[in-house]
Order: sequence, then C-alpha cells, then structure tokens
Amino acid sequence: MNGKRSFGGGGRGKTGAQGQQGKDGQRRPMFRRRKVCKFCADKIDDINYKDTKLLMPFVPERAKILPRRISGTCAMHQRKLRTAIMRARQLALIPYTAE
Amino acid sequence: MARKYELVYVVSPDATDAQITDLHSQVEAIAQRLNGQIEKTDNWGRRKLAYEIGPHKEGTYVLEVINGGGELMKEIDRRLKVTDLIIRHTIVRVDEEQSVVERTRSKRTDMSRRRRVARGLPPDRQPGEGQRGDVDDDRDDRFDMNEGLER
Repeated sequence: MNGKRSFGGGGRGKTGAQGQQGKDGQRRPMFRRRKVCKFCADKIDDINYKDTKLLMPFVPERAKILPRRISGTCAMHQRKLRTAIMRARQLALIPYTAE
Repeated sequence: MARKYELVYVVSPDATDAQITDLHSQVEAIAQRLNGQIEKTDNWGRRKLAYEIGPHKEGTYVLEVINGGGELMKEIDRRLKVTDLIIRHTIVRVDEEQSVVERTRSKRTDMSRRRRVARGLPPDRQPGEGQRGDVDDDRDDRFDMNEGLER
C-alpha cells in the first residue's frame, strides 16, 4: 500500500518529520521493532575490551563491526564499542576478518 | 596523582610456566625500580588466538594492573617489544575511564533512590518487585502495524 514510505531510510531525522505529517505519514506496511541501545537498556557503563562475550554479538560472521543502523546502539556507546573492539582485535581476542 | 594502567601480554605457547613467572617478575622489577607497583595480576591461561600471529595459533594471556607514571609504562613497553617470547602486548590507561564509570553509576543509583523516595517507596528495590522485561516489550508499539488500522 504505502510502499514509498517503507524504504525511505530509517534515519533518525525522519522520525521528527513524521510527527508533523500526522497519522498518514506514520502508517507502515510492516511491523518493525523499535531498536534500543543494548548498553543503555542493560545499563552497561563499562564496555571493556577484555569482555569478548559482550563484544562478539557486535562482530558478526565477517568480523566487521555491526553498524549502528542495524544494532540500534546509541552514538556514545557505539563509539565506546568501537574502541573496545579495536583493542580486542589487537590482542587477537577478536578477529579482524574472517574468510 | 598516580595513574593506573592495564597491561595485557600474550606469551608464546612454547614458553614454560617458569618463563612466564620470570616475565612477570621482570615487569615487577621495572615497576619497582621506577616507583610504581603492581596492583593485580591475572593469568588467563592458554587461549586460542582469533587469528594467526606468525607461526602461533595459541597464546598465554597475562593481565597486569599497574599503578605508576607514564615513564614507567614507556620503559615496560620498550622492554616487552624486544622480548621474543611475547607475541603481542597492549597498555591501556584505565584510571580516568574507571572514575567516569563510577560516577555515572553512582549518579544513576542516586537518581533512582530519589525518585523512589519521592514516590513513597523504600529507596532500594525490593526482591521480586516489578518484572521489567514484559512491560518493556508491550510499550514497544511505535512501529506496530495496527497503527494504520485505527482510522
């Protein structure tokens, strides 16, 4: 039905615009779960490079860092996550790449 | 004010236990010489490396938490670089980050306590009170498909 809106980019700026457009603009053809920053939700203050169990979900198969638009991590925590992952990579706790 | 550093080094899997303790005592000696001290050591044991480093596929990880100045860490860094047994090492300064974490944590507990008192509840959460998990998901209807059907 309203195909135009569905892939309009899930950017954050959009949400503001939607509010002004009213009900019509908000209609979505499919269910989409609201993404929440894991670290804010679980109240994890300290993203440590030694904690591989915490970091592993953010480096899927190809061992690239999961982008924010997919994981829903907030900017501050994504930044901390990035330094933690890079430190862990240096110590060979997490791979740089995977074949 | 004293700084706090974390040092993690990966020792080659061929090294014997005696050699590993020897490395630890070397680090300790440097720390003492440049008036720092080792707060904690932790041997993680042998772990598989995430990728091969030269010929190695495994390594023994050792973590040391050291109180001391920048000069001390520079010296340790230099020494570890020339040690053949060590295949990787990193030094990270942790004191600043730790204090920030502590501050946010205490701020948060303070806030929640104040709010709870304002609502007339005891300041600490009682056991078995409020299952947050279920409530969270229910509220999550911003992008629900039912929204369009309301009209």
